[in-house]
Amino acid sequence: MAVEYLAYFIPFYLIAVIMYVVRALKGPTIPDRVLAIDCLGYVLATFLVIFSVYLKSPLIIACAIVLALWIYALDVYMSKYLEKRELGE
Amino acid sequence: MSSMDLNLILTIISYILIGIGAFCQVVAGIGMNRFPNFFVRLHASTICAIGGSFVPIIGCSILALTLEEFGPSRFFLAGAGFVTAIFIVLLAPVGSHLLAKAAYFSKAAVLHPKVADLLEEDIKKGEVRESTV
Repeated sequence: MAVEYLAYFIPFYLIAVIMYVVRALKGPTIPDRVLAIDCLGYVLATFLVIFSVYLKSPLIIACAIVLALWIYALDVYMSKYLEKRELGE
Repeated sequence: MSSMDLNLILTIISYILIGIGAFCQVVAGIGMNRFPNFFVRLHASTICAIGGSFVPIIGCSILALTLEEFGPSRFFLAGAGFVTAIFIVLLAPVGSHLLAKAAYFSKAAVLHPKVADLLEEDIKKGEVRESTV
């Protein structure tokens, strides 16, 4: 009933996705690209939650929790690689 | 107050939160393209994580709580949404800090339009050693 109006908010998120992709492709240094990919991950997690409410499907939202943890793992691994030039074991 | 009124109020609050999230995402996207270097772009990343991701996920969870025709699995939707929001609000600043520290000390990001770099002056004066920061 009240869920249909969620569709009006989707284009704003898509515009933001396009701008983050531009920065991720163009970014002059490695940390810029990692930062843009972090933001892409957060937009994707928000998208998953919004779609699971919009489509009324509880299966989709389980991916969002795992995605939030993977973004943190990407940050930790990239900072370790930048400082030590290795990924560790 | 009847249950119908409470549902209407919660729906309006959740749509306001999702609207704030959409606005913050667009602002963060513009900032990500317009800011000059990496350390200023961290600001846009924070707007994206907290204003653009934490706030609308809370809004979606509140919206899922009001869907009474959806049955008991609406509590699963709302709970998983709250857990995701708490993960994001705890882990996004930690990740940004780690990345900024690594980018500063490995000199991977150039600080081109440089206004002030107080940490570099402190390291030069010997007040802060580079290995302990």
